[in-house]
Amino acid sequence: MSELLAKIAECIEFGKINKAAPFPPQMKGQEGADELTRQAIDEGIPAQQILTEGLMIGMEKVGIKFRENKVFVPQVLMSAKAMSTAMMHLKPFFLSGEVKEKGTLIIGTVEGDLHDIGKNLVSMMVEGNGWKVVDLGTDVKADQFVAALKEHQNAIVGLSALLTTTMVNMGKITKAIKEAVPEAKVAIGGAPVTDDFRKKIGADAYSPDPQGLVEYLNTQVA
Amino acid sequence: MNGLELIKQAFALQPVGRIPWVPFVGVHGGYLISTDAETYLKSAEKITAGISKAIELYRPDGIPVVFDLQVEAEVLGCDIRWSEAGPPAVVSHPLAEGKSLKDLTIPGPDDGRLAVCLQAARSLREKYPDIALYGLITGPFTLALHLLGTDIFIKMFEAPKEIHAIMDFCSRTAQKIADYYMQAGCDVVALVDPMTSQIDRQTFDTFVKPYVTPVFEQVRQNNKLSSFFVCGHAQQNIEAMCDCKPDNISIDENIPLDFVKEIALEKGISFGGNMKLTVVLLMGSEEDCREHALECLDLGGNTGFILAPGCDLPRETPSKNLITVANLLNDPYQQEIVRTLEKKESTLEIFNMKDYGQADKVIVDIVTLDSESCAPCQYMVEAVKRVAPYFEGVVEWREHAIKKMEEVSFMSSLMVKNIPTICIDGKIAFVSKIPPEKVLVAAIQQRINEKLKLKIKSKKSEIILLGKDDEKFQELKERVNRAQTELGKDLEVKIITDQKNLASYGVVQLPAVVSVHYKIKSEGLVPSTEVIKEWLKEL
Repeated sequence: MSELLAKIAECIEFGKINKAAPFPPQMKGQEGADELTRQAIDEGIPAQQILTEGLMIGMEKVGIKFRENKVFVPQVLMSAKAMSTAMMHLKPFFLSGEVKEKGTLIIGTVEGDLHDIGKNLVSMMVEGNGWKVVDLGTDVKADQFVAALKEHQNAIVGLSALLTTTMVNMGKITKAIKEAVPEAKVAIGGAPVTDDFRKKIGADAYSPDPQGLVEYLNTQVA
Repeated sequence: MNGLELIKQAFALQPVGRIPWVPFVGVHGGYLISTDAETYLKSAEKITAGISKAIELYRPDGIPVVFDLQVEAEVLGCDIRWSEAGPPAVVSHPLAEGKSLKDLTIPGPDDGRLAVCLQAARSLREKYPDIALYGLITGPFTLALHLLGTDIFIKMFEAPKEIHAIMDFCSRTAQKIADYYMQAGCDVVALVDPMTSQIDRQTFDTFVKPYVTPVFEQVRQNNKLSSFFVCGHAQQNIEAMCDCKPDNISIDENIPLDFVKEIALEKGISFGGNMKLTVVLLMGSEEDCREHALECLDLGGNTGFILAPGCDLPRETPSKNLITVANLLNDPYQQEIVRTLEKKESTLEIFNMKDYGQADKVIVDIVTLDSESCAPCQYMVEAVKRVAPYFEGVVEWREHAIKKMEEVSFMSSLMVKNIPTICIDGKIAFVSKIPPEKVLVAAIQQRINEKLKLKIKSKKSEIILLGKDDEKFQELKERVNRAQTELGKDLEVKIITDQKNLASYGVVQLPAVVSVHYKIKSEGLVPSTEVIKEWLKEL
């Protein structure tokens, strides 16, 4: 059983989607996340266990390798694709309540900015760690964040920006969120963002990489 | 030597007398002439006016004509969305939405906003023959991403042939655009490919290197210079970028400058960067900019280095910050000042100067780099020396050359930020400009008057009457009261009859009168030893 979960973790780590997928070359012809997850369910392994001991382990390894510049966006996207293929099999268990999410992250690229690669990577990593993600998309204004926060009580907010010209909007949005929901936590990230900048705008967390946000979120679990 | 020659020298790895600088003015040019990004980027006249303004203010050695990586994509059919404060963003990707490569043709020089950019290049060339003009072209990988969207990342693994075909098209496009810019008179073709920061070395070698190398080769054949800009965290690809054989690479603040320097010089190409765009240039103070620019200058060195921001300047970057950088660059004195201060700041002790300048004499402090080697400092010291005799005995002056640690502490304690500065009794009076004699005399005189007023106000006296409770003592008390009334004075009169206390006043025969003068020197704080010594001298 644990061998099967380890295999699933490996498929996620290296982005092996299914048997037919040519990537990665060293796993050509082998079964992928798709087949192995189905197999695990059929063998009666609890969905929660498949998630935490298989998928999440693989995703965490990718997150760490991404942080250490050992893999880059293309590889992470492949892992995420493998992850979402596996999640299709687990979806019914989420709906039935057998698998529980750790919490909710509301995420969006800030007003004026249309870049979504970074935000999507973060969403995938956070989701892959067992969180619910409410993705508000790109060019998201302060009131949209506030409205989402009122709908999803106790959610944590993540702001993304790629441009130096739009990152300044993070300050405005953080302020609006804190005014509307004083206890709300705001995490920020994106290429031009730094921890100095976070301090300047009064946000709660900054991470240069998605895994850092995952770690921060996990410290916030009650 | 003019800017173009200086840039050429740096590109050729010849040591330079002054490090050249290339501020990446993009939509910031619009800001300088109060024009929004969209109007600016659509008008050759506006671009010419904005860049001209930037040249006038920032005195660059080289400058880009336009910094907008969406120009080619827009011509090729990507929808773009404009914003007031930044370059436009691509919002649709034709190759992901039904179009195929066969439907695309390489843009011509009159297509879309390319015509605007090239016209601006020609006008600026004519106007500024001595400045290195940079023609910026969208790198093939970034252009491919515009055309295909983020699918490109997964397709590199799942459909590599398709990606190679798209990259080939984007490479041929880049070569054409490079040609147009060179014909319009640009000296440097800069290929800007920020999206390559998102891929690993192997993917770079497979999908980027074969498609950017020919662009640089073509520029070389035309006897022009080429640069490879990558904004973003591209540390893993620096060596690979050099292997594409550009003449220069330019990087942003995500990558340590010394790391890039080492690799670039080893590969025999020049390098540029990497001033911090937001926390320093956009949001920092002038001091922050000075310190940071100097740090870059010292790290980069005078061989092969070009000072530049990490990427295009945010639109609303304060002009004063960039002017500060330009001033520093052109002023070796200032560089030495900043360098001296920077080194010493970490171990700085700040004196409590709240009560500085309360002595009877007026203290004039001149904070200098060193009046023997810094001309402005010398003139300032001489100005003070000249007026000092007018106030013989009343004014004391001192020079504080910040080459000594304790003088740096003194300078910081007085909150002096510029060299040279004159402080009168601890207050900053003249900054950088040497005051004319009359003005300086007036300033000192004013302080003397102030002090005199203060002196009169703060003096308090007390009269102590010592005696036994007898007739003589009664008489004394009455006379003192009468004297007070006649003089209109309001003195504190203290009466001491306790025998035990008499001895402490050194009085032997009674009755006796002791007068005491008080002067408030400081209140509510513990003055520094240095200050107390000044007071003691008055006694």
